Amino acid sequence: MTRRLTRWQAFGVALLMLGSACTFGAEDTGGPDGGGTAAPDEPVTLRIWTHQNKSFNQGLKDLAAEYEAANPNVTLEFDTFDYDSYIQTLQTALPAGTEADILQMFGTWTCSYADNLSPVPADISSLADAQSAFFEAPIGGYTCDDALYGFPQEFNIEYGATLLNTATADAAGVDASAGWASWDEFMADAKTLTETRDGVITRTGYHFTSADALVYSFFSLILQGGGQFLADDGASFTIDTPEAREAIALMQSMVDEGIIDPELFNDTANWVGDCYFEEACAMGLVGPWVVPEYSTDFPEVAAATEYVALPTLSGTPDFVADSGWGLTVSANSPAQNVAWDFVRFMTLDPVNAAAWNTATGTLPALKTNGEGTAQQELIADYPHFEAWFPILEHGQYVGNLPDRDLLWYEIAYPHLLSVLQGGESVEDALAAMESEANDTFR
Amino acid sequence: MASATIEGPERKHRFFGGRQGAQRRFVAAVLSPALAYMAVFLLLPIGWAFVLAFFDFSPRRTGSPFLGLGLDNPFVGLEHFTRMFDFSKTAPLEVRQFHTALKVTLLFAFIVVPLNLAITLPLAAMVESVRGRWKVLYRTVFFLPVLTSAVGVAIIWLFVLHPQRGLLNGVISRVTGRFTATAWTTDPDLLFLGVPIALFAIIVAYLWQDIGFNLVIFIAALQAIPDSVKDAARVDGASAWQTFRYITLPLLKPTILLASVLTMISAFQVFDLFQVMTMGGPGDQTRALSLDIYESAFRYQRMGWAAAVSVVLFLLVFTISIVQSRFLRPNWEY
Repeated sequence: MTRRLTRWQAFGVALLMLGSACTFGAEDTGGPDGGGTAAPDEPVTLRIWTHQNKSFNQGLKDLAAEYEAANPNVTLEFDTFDYDSYIQTLQTALPAGTEADILQMFGTWTCSYADNLSPVPADISSLADAQSAFFEAPIGGYTCDDALYGFPQEFNIEYGATLLNTATADAAGVDASAGWASWDEFMADAKTLTETRDGVITRTGYHFTSADALVYSFFSLILQGGGQFLADDGASFTIDTPEAREAIALMQSMVDEGIIDPELFNDTANWVGDCYFEEACAMGLVGPWVVPEYSTDFPEVAAATEYVALPTLSGTPDFVADSGWGLTVSANSPAQNVAWDFVRFMTLDPVNAAAWNTATGTLPALKTNGEGTAQQELIADYPHFEAWFPILEHGQYVGNLPDRDLLWYEIAYPHLLSVLQGGESVEDALAAMESEANDTFR
Repeated sequence: MASATIEGPERKHRFFGGRQGAQRRFVAAVLSPALAYMAVFLLLPIGWAFVLAFFDFSPRRTGSPFLGLGLDNPFVGLEHFTRMFDFSKTAPLEVRQFHTALKVTLLFAFIVVPLNLAITLPLAAMVESVRGRWKVLYRTVFFLPVLTSAVGVAIIWLFVLHPQRGLLNGVISRVTGRFTATAWTTDPDLLFLGVPIALFAIIVAYLWQDIGFNLVIFIAALQAIPDSVKDAARVDGASAWQTFRYITLPLLKPTILLASVLTMISAFQVFDLFQVMTMGGPGDQTRALSLDIYESAFRYQRMGWAAAVSVVLFLLVFTISIVQSRFLRPNWEY
């Protein structure tokens, strides 16, 4: 009896140990209100988590060194994770309360983690001040239920201007560098740039049917048509609308005109970046980040590349954008005041913010860096930014969606591509998209 | 009546003492790391998956302090499994994707297994009939793809099947004299007998990589059949075909069972070829269960749902393996 009891006790202890080892958030970290304030000159070590991106991290580290020099009591330690690991690390560490003090965050994710993040202290910035300092789209992601949880460092943009291979355009007698006054003009040039052989498109005039391009096009065209796709309260979608039909009709007309074959050019076959730099696309819809990615392997195409603003449906270049990468502070950080001071130094100081944008080749999130000298300096370093600056103020944040990737890649893209490929009617696709998108709020 | 039971330290001493005890200590020492490894990295995750299948669990949400279960990750009992039987058009997206994935996986497995056996068995017989160094060469050549990374295989086959620059379309263009750019892996309208060509593309890539494995198994089994049995058949006037049909094939039954079960299990688990070659497209036509589980769990963080689907996959593989072993079990041994 005694032995049996002892075994059961041992088993129970083992179970308890296992349970405590696997416990999420069992350690008392202070919870969301458990953050602390470090005394002004007290030595402080802050951990910073970022995803692996060489230029992003070098830009951060250069400025961090400056901050450490100005604040000798502060030590900044960086941990970097590859993109997929970073997502999973955030998802498990934040509920468990084991995250770093400062977390690099893609703005669109921020509200998913808001429960475990520290709201921006009033002495750093108010929401109203931040909304006037930053462009709407980037700051939108850091705003959750009228509270601010961080600041963006970049304007993440995918729609508004197209890659144009000027060498191909010149050879085809197309002068598009001044842009197009209408979609008809654009389509005429795109058609001229399209090449076929035995009825098969060998070079598409305009590639817009990869996943991001197609979905951003769709939602941006809805905005330009005067519609919306997300209700004001952000809790439901209305996608089956006349503006959505108009958006699809425009995209369908490009397929019908033979500018692109969505079975040959999509996200899996001839992805827009590969397609453009391998010269199977004369124009392609993808953000400016793509040029540095390919310029080493395709220097001649990169040299002949220009971004040209796309025409609009209504005269104003409204577009949908995600919120870009930025910095947030953990609610569990024992030195939140120092962490926020560093975030302020990185994101709210226009000189430092511009230095990071220059180092990383990203468009600025701060409005002051999107104009005047800062803008000119960025254009001098990155000529491909020139076409984007005039439209930044028209960017609308995509919204705090329950699952942005699910909407983008499992709902909107498959249905839109299917319509363009002739596999689904517009009516069926819009009804299905609306129903499936609203299911994501379950 | 006195009890013969040895209690406590004495029993322990007997168990681990002496020559037999030394052997036991050696076995325990050798097996412990492997068993510990299996317990931590195999049994624990399997058990955890079974537990998660009964919770609406997402790592994004905050659960209770105990394993993150409860609170925002509530216990839902059999709800995930009952939802799998919702065949209405208005069923949630993940349920419809599960139905598609199940269909694709079954289709893939039931095409791959017979094709694999139909190719490897005769091929093994042919290789086995070759004499001298050539046999080693053939065996090596056919086995080489098995050693290749599946991702590498997928990339090579994508190159072969590329619409504009692919070798296959290049050959077709040469032969027909007309430029062909068939989108083998991305055109949803390309079907053969109702099966998407994109799925056939993956099947071809899979078979190319996998046949070497079964080939080696069959060659080994063929070598194990005593020559005396075949000689006796020949003496009785059996032709080469009759010897193969009535002597070799029945004797290979246990090996065929092994090969078909292993191939079936492997076919149900294929992930990398689907992920790299088609990412489940076009339009979910090649969304296999393994891909569905991965996407649900790690892309969309529906861990509870993904765990339930993985339980279904486990039960499916388990049931099919049992059925296969019942049907293919030999009635005798040699």
